[in-house]
Amino acid sequence: MFWEQLINGLTLGSSYALIALGYTMVYGIVQLINFAHGEIYMFGAFAGLFLVLSGVNVFIALLGAMVFCMLLGMLVERIAYRPLRGKSSRLSALISAIGVSIFLSTLMALYRGTNTTRYPEIIGNSTFSVGSIQISSLQVIILLVSALLMVGLQLLIQKTRIGKAMRACSQDLEASSLMGINVNRVISATFAIGSALAAAGGMMVGIYYNAVWPYMGTMAGLKAFAAAVLGGIGSVPGAMIGGLSLGVMEIMGVAYLSSSYKDAIAFAILILVLFIRPQGIMGQKISKKV
Amino acid sequence: MNFKRNKKVVLILCALMIFSLLAGCGGNAAPDKAAGDTIKLGFLGAKTGSVANYGIPGEKGMKMAIDELNAGKGILGKKVEGIYEDNKGESSEIANITTKYITKDKVVALVGDPCTGLTKVAADIAQENKVVIFSAGATGADVVEIGDYVFRNTLLDTVAAPAVVDWMINKKGWKNLAVITSGNNGYSTALTPIFKQAIAEKGGQIVLEDTVNDGETDFTAQVTKLKNAKPDALVFTGYYTEAALIMNEAKKKNLDIVLVGGDGLYGQDLAKLGGEAVQEKVIFYAGFSTDQPSPETAKFLEAYRAKYQEEPDMFSAQFYDAIMILAQAMETAKSTDPSVFKNELANLKDYPGVSGVTTFGADREPIKSPVCLLTVKGDKFPALLEKIPVQAK
Repeated sequence: MFWEQLINGLTLGSSYALIALGYTMVYGIVQLINFAHGEIYMFGAFAGLFLVLSGVNVFIALLGAMVFCMLLGMLVERIAYRPLRGKSSRLSALISAIGVSIFLSTLMALYRGTNTTRYPEIIGNSTFSVGSIQISSLQVIILLVSALLMVGLQLLIQKTRIGKAMRACSQDLEASSLMGINVNRVISATFAIGSALAAAGGMMVGIYYNAVWPYMGTMAGLKAFAAAVLGGIGSVPGAMIGGLSLGVMEIMGVAYLSSSYKDAIAFAILILVLFIRPQGIMGQKISKKV
Repeated sequence: MNFKRNKKVVLILCALMIFSLLAGCGGNAAPDKAAGDTIKLGFLGAKTGSVANYGIPGEKGMKMAIDELNAGKGILGKKVEGIYEDNKGESSEIANITTKYITKDKVVALVGDPCTGLTKVAADIAQENKVVIFSAGATGADVVEIGDYVFRNTLLDTVAAPAVVDWMINKKGWKNLAVITSGNNGYSTALTPIFKQAIAEKGGQIVLEDTVNDGETDFTAQVTKLKNAKPDALVFTGYYTEAALIMNEAKKKNLDIVLVGGDGLYGQDLAKLGGEAVQEKVIFYAGFSTDQPSPETAKFLEAYRAKYQEEPDMFSAQFYDAIMILAQAMETAKSTDPSVFKNELANLKDYPGVSGVTTFGADREPIKSPVCLLTVKGDKFPALLEKIPVQAK
């Protein structure tokens, strides 16, 4: 049973990791906790649902949802964060983020109602055995797609021009702008990439659990935030490790302790990390972020 | 300013006010005078707000019963009059309305409310004023304990759960059971001990006890545990959303299991969310089903459909029964005095109502038979699986 639970945990954790990446990238560059990020994830799940229901192939729907959320993420940044940047304190941007979060979830609740909506079974599911453990094909697909996205993100950050610009901005925003980097464009790109990953996470969670609802982003967002802090906020590999380990710890908590402690585990870890190692697993005290 | 003209206007206004007051008194005086000839019953239920879904069909059932009584001989030869205020599902409203029914309308009995919390508010007032209150829906604890004027007629979990567990163990042979509770759901945490006690009494084994939380979607860990515990069936005491998600997960993990629960699973979303995974795999109990009706229920169904062009539900049936049971008690007691006919009411045995057969036990709690087992079958929700008769002790 341990190995099966481990796979359950990794699958759950990969969804946390995909959301945590968005938190960590944005934080790395503008030092903002983008609390609306959970809602972007929720919009990704719904966008994917609409596309799937209109008969689009599931992988094209996944791409569509990612593109939609890219635009949504950029729009949120343009409207709610950019006007505040540099002019007011970071606290105002944080409050603006909370406002956007409430606005987006309520918007979806108005449009779809607060009931849970069924996600159709678009990927035929089968279970197969490896030794004595049973794994569902859906879990394998989710793990593979998540891994692929994370590798893609690493390549983007390490090998491309925009990636280099992002790394520069995370080191020093002002110096980067003096070197001729269009900082606003880099920030916009960061939001776009983070949102696309969240959308992918949202849609895969929808397929995995067959359920989406307007407030799904709130708890997932908080958990992913905890994962990002656990991994070391600002660190991309940290968000991946943080997400996966949080998922595994939660599932193991339910499996061997009690389900009542599920959320408590996530937040107890968050508090412990803040006490013992404030910079997180992968975080460095001298910031070299993204 | 023309002071005199102003004074005139004031005088006219005063006169108008006095007239309207007199007219108001006149209007009120008429029913008072007729009070000796009609028997008044007050409806307690919400017609607007979040629990209007229970009140609206309840009012229809009550109106239908009163129309039927008046088409015959009424009660003790007197006309019956129902008064229908909307309590909006709010405690302050129901307190005002109950007081108004008792002091102004002088009702002999209150019928409703379908909700436990609201019934308790009204029951305190009714007990104090010695007026019978008959709830057609309150299932929670500490209702009839309020006093000897308080009654209810609905399927209680303490009656239904043992009957269902008996069916599972002795008819289906499901002896090894898993019990899952939704930890942050009060309904679920109250229902689980009732199920556990019944399982212990009927000789079943609990092989796994676990919890989930309402609002979560990840039940992979619980279902993996469930699969390893290999129970014959799963008892889940929570609501339909989580039940559907658990069953979805079970299907993904190739776990073929039946989930049994209470009327918290009674929601259209069970079928919508669960899809194929809940088809004839989720079984829950309820006090009323329009399938395979008894002769009494069949007659009621026909009349209700003809009158309202819609299907009755549990609440319309229970409100209908409440009126008829009250009428029978008054006829037997030959009195419309609540302090007299309440004793007849307490003696009710095997009353063949449209919502099932009702007996009041020694503690005045209703024992209803049969318990309807419902499931999801094709597009039909809910579909009747079986009716289990309950023996009154």
